[in-house]
Amino acid sequence: MDSATELANGLDSKDPRVGLRAVSALRRLLEELEALQVTNARSQGWSWQDIAAELGVSRQAVHKKHAARRGLLRRD
Amino acid sequence: MFERFTHPARESVVAAQVAARRLGHDRIGTEHLLLGMLEQPDSVAARVLTELGATPAAIEQEIQAELGRAPSGIGDAEALGAIGINLDEVRRRIEAAFGPDALCGRRAKRYRRGMLSDHIPFTPRNKKVLELSLREALRLGHKYIGTEHIMLGMIREGQGLAMLVLTRLGVGPEVLRTRILDELREAG
Repeated sequence: MDSATELANGLDSKDPRVGLRAVSALRRLLEELEALQVTNARSQGWSWQDIAAELGVSRQAVHKKHAARRGLLRRD
Repeated sequence: MFERFTHPARESVVAAQVAARRLGHDRIGTEHLLLGMLEQPDSVAARVLTELGATPAAIEQEIQAELGRAPSGIGDAEALGAIGINLDEVRRRIEAAFGPDALCGRRAKRYRRGMLSDHIPFTPRNKKVLELSLREALRLGHKYIGTEHIMLGMIREGQGLAMLVLTRLGVGPEVLRTRILDELREAG
């Protein structure tokens, strides 16, 4: 895999493919971590207000983003 | 709608579900429907696809590749490693706290089989494709829905994994549509 070899240099590489790919991977990781942590916080009884404060965003933003998904994950 | 389906078209839908299950996917997408149609040797879709060189093995390989590959061919772990983030270590710590599989790609999650349910639902896109197959049949003045109409519906919808995989194999939507319509003209 030539791309893997390129990545050995990673940080030094100025190849936009490597850098952009890292950004998109980081975004995916961020989204997954956020979803996981919000779900965990909610299941521990945290309010949307408290979660929003820790995330540094508005309560509305965090609720809008995660409330629907929470519904899907609700235990029956 | 299914009552208008020809025998191969019905069998394709059944085979699509079998394919999704075999691959361990929890949705029946257009890619599974494509594999299902290829399993019906007497169907128009299978005939045309085989002629164009889109074999089940090649398609399945492309599907597998696509599900684990970004356009650049660089994996998430590699890309994050390039900026000093060790994804394996992140995963290890998260799983230590939240249990196995707590962190897995959204795509991987979508394609992970439900553990409790036998039922595998169609993706909304695939439902749309089946609706469009009815429209394609009506447009051609046909009273039945065959694999040729499903294929035309897939082409018209255009955004599914099936079309992406076919295009990767050099079977673009235009050539496919033309060949199907030719085939129908010859038959009819």
